[in-house]
Amino acid sequence: MHDEAYENNRLHGKHLLWVDNITKSFSGLTALLDVSFGIERGHIKALIGPNGAGKTTLLNVISGILSPDRGHVYYRGKDLTRLRPHEIAAQGLSRTFQLVRLFTANNAKVLDNLMIGAHLKLKPSFVKSLFLRGTIHHQDRVIRETAYEKLRFVGLEPAAGETSPSNLPFGNQRLLEIARALMAEPEMLLLDEPASGLNDAEVEEFKKLLLAVKEKGITILLVEHNMKLVMDVADEIVVLDFGRKLAEGNCDEISCNRKVIEAYLGSDYVNVAGRNHSG
Amino acid sequence: MKVKRNLGWLALLLFIALFPATVGRISPYYNTVLILVGIYVILAVSLDLLIGFAGQISVGHAAFFALGAYTSGILTAKHSISPSIALLSGLFVSGLVAWGIGRAVLRLKGYYLAMATLGLNAVIVKLITGFASITGGASGLLHIPPFQIFSLTLQDHTYYYYFVWGIVILVITCCLALTKSPFGSTLIAIHSDEEAASTLGIDCPKYKLHVFVISSMLAGVAGSLFAHFMGFIAPDDFDILTSILILVMLFLGGVGTIYGAALGAAFLKLLPEVTYGFHDYELFLHGLILILVLIFMPEGLLGILTNVKNRLLGSKVLSNPPSLGTDS
Amino acid sequence: MRHSGRFFVYEKELLVSVEGWALIDRSVLLQFLFSGITLGSVYALIAISLVIVYNVSRVLCFAQGEFFVFGALTMIALTALGIPMPIGFILTIVLVSGLGMVIERLLIRPVQNSSVGTVITMTVAISLCLRGLGLLIWGREAHTLPAFTKSKALSIFGAYLSVQVLWIIAAAAIVLLIIWLFFEKTLLGLSMRACAENRLGASLVGISVWKTTLFAWAWGAALGALAGVVIAPLIFVRYISGTMPMLKGFTAIAIGGLTTVGSVMAGLLLGIMEAYTVGLISSEFADAIVFSVLILVLLGRSYGILGKTEDGGM
Repeated sequence: MHDEAYENNRLHGKHLLWVDNITKSFSGLTALLDVSFGIERGHIKALIGPNGAGKTTLLNVISGILSPDRGHVYYRGKDLTRLRPHEIAAQGLSRTFQLVRLFTANNAKVLDNLMIGAHLKLKPSFVKSLFLRGTIHHQDRVIRETAYEKLRFVGLEPAAGETSPSNLPFGNQRLLEIARALMAEPEMLLLDEPASGLNDAEVEEFKKLLLAVKEKGITILLVEHNMKLVMDVADEIVVLDFGRKLAEGNCDEISCNRKVIEAYLGSDYVNVAGRNHSG
Repeated sequence: MKVKRNLGWLALLLFIALFPATVGRISPYYNTVLILVGIYVILAVSLDLLIGFAGQISVGHAAFFALGAYTSGILTAKHSISPSIALLSGLFVSGLVAWGIGRAVLRLKGYYLAMATLGLNAVIVKLITGFASITGGASGLLHIPPFQIFSLTLQDHTYYYYFVWGIVILVITCCLALTKSPFGSTLIAIHSDEEAASTLGIDCPKYKLHVFVISSMLAGVAGSLFAHFMGFIAPDDFDILTSILILVMLFLGGVGTIYGAALGAAFLKLLPEVTYGFHDYELFLHGLILILVLIFMPEGLLGILTNVKNRLLGSKVLSNPPSLGTDS
Repeated sequence: MRHSGRFFVYEKELLVSVEGWALIDRSVLLQFLFSGITLGSVYALIAISLVIVYNVSRVLCFAQGEFFVFGALTMIALTALGIPMPIGFILTIVLVSGLGMVIERLLIRPVQNSSVGTVITMTVAISLCLRGLGLLIWGREAHTLPAFTKSKALSIFGAYLSVQVLWIIAAAAIVLLIIWLFFEKTLLGLSMRACAENRLGASLVGISVWKTTLFAWAWGAALGALAGVVIAPLIFVRYISGTMPMLKGFTAIAIGGLTTVGSVMAGLLLGIMEAYTVGLISSEFADAIVFSVLILVLLGRSYGILGKTEDGGM
């Protein structure tokens, strides 16, 4: 036990996010059991596993939507486990969802979604709205510029700003959600199956986007089913199965891991990994 | 472009400003009608912040209407405190109660929240009725003096009209400022999807509490104005039916737009003037109106007017009806 | 013993309170219990009507009090026309359940899949409409019904038990038995339970969801009407009398949860609690206390005490 703690402390310095022995059950059903791994600063780490393995549950624990029964989540060495989602977001973690969750009430448009994304920068309050209108106007201009920049960055047309998010094609809705998550200039991005439902061409574009995000210095935890995408962008992979960590390592190691191969990758990728991996 | 858009509002403001001097001069009764309209505009607009923007279903708004009215009424009628201070006290009491229970109550969502706000309304009314020695009980609180700013007594309905509508304009301006700002956008995010909003850094409980307190304080202001206007208030003026009527006004005009709330309040309060003699049908009519609005014109009167205006101006803007809470 | 106290709008002989604690003895406490069971039976009926409608259609009806009022007033009107009570009774239940079904088909169905806020507003609108209709049909006066049977009140250990109370308890017990039989043994009842658990699944196995929902609303309206009919001889009913029973029904389901057993027990408990509160603590503030309990129980559930709600709302 002591050695493990020492190891953890040593590793925290290199790791931006450290997940430590996370256990979570729902009414007797164990969703996660003693899951531990870390993500190095500036890396893209993929979290894979079959449906029901607990990947989304783990994301929910990290982002604060769920509290684990046991274990801790460390970010920059700080224990985030008991914090609420908005406090965790304030630390620099942003996330997207498996089923896109865009804001559509009150005729909210694409641009409104992005402006809301900048919440941590704007720090809105009713006091500001009533008495500091000059500040608001100034902030509004600045954030609006940022919003258009993010739209362009993810590959959307600035003209889309005034459309309703529900009118966007599905792939663009995903991009919008990512753009919204980027508005707060996060240090780390948690992405929940962002490529699901995208066709091959869209996945290629998406791959470029992920790498562009990485180039900005943002660390990414990517939950994905699309193995080719994972192999192409991930620096490391961690595999979950029935809530337990099955394996962890770089793409070569994972694709050579017998247990993982048998269960998830299929024999094709044993050979593919050596050639295509672009860690 | 801007001038064109504001021309309509300027015309309306002009109408409100000149009303007592023109129509009101001929028949002063209509001044009193418009004073009541103004009070309900404040109520409807304040509820719009809560329901239309933040998406929190409150069916007990009259509770804060009551708190403001009775605070003002008791302080001025029984303790001869200046009405201006009484108004501020009413504001304070409403806000304080909202602050006290808001955090806990707003943890509830959907049906449970509606039930809790109904319960709150009922409790407040029962407490007012019960503490008869302080509030006058079921027979009501009498002898509430007319409003007084410093030494000027607003006995004349014309003066009170300008006072009330001055406040109404101020309230609408503030609510527009709130909703068209990042604060308003935050409320819309909470309305759409609280969980997603929280992952963007939004402290949902805090913002919900803030809008609840603001909304309640405005209702308290309306209450004070009401008390001084009527000179006499009774618990029946503030029961669940009143809360429901405010809800009808809000939906009739167009929920989630501020202007809609004002429009709905004006329409519903002016309707009896047109249909007098059918007083008994009012209740049924209100229910029917709400049902028709919900099924056929969810954007309310404002939505219809906007569509007509766009049709006339030739633009093909299609509006989406605002929804309450997240659509499942 | 002095009879003063309140129930709904006016009292006749239902609730009692005593002046001075010195007068409290066994018979007084027993009297409170009888009142409590009476009230409790009515609350239980209203509560279970809310539960049935909610579980099958996922709609909590904010117009339930109006079914109560319509039940009472229809029965009163039919009796006044000279129709014998048993026939009037059946007619009333049939008419009000019909009303419930019409409401479901015409007004609830269009908003079935809208957000909770819209659904709530719709049921509130329905309540307004029904209330307005009640005013137009029955006027502003309070009405009452003669007792089902004309016999003297019984005296048990010094407490008076009106025979009507026995009718109420009997009606509640029989109805609960019928409900149990229906939901356990009949195909339609089982279909409704299936719908309650999983609408999609139910429709996939061939259950007609729209038929079951319609029937659920018929049940809900019928039970609400029944509650109104049985208590009508003991109170005065007006077009606005629906609010209080509805709120107390809400309190019962907040306490007991959205289950048949829980809501019935909670309804009984609530009635007894209210009777003792009126009797021993205060009659003016009894309602305030009951509704404070409603708020506190809801808040308690949201904090995870007294059992969790489904993420704070339904």
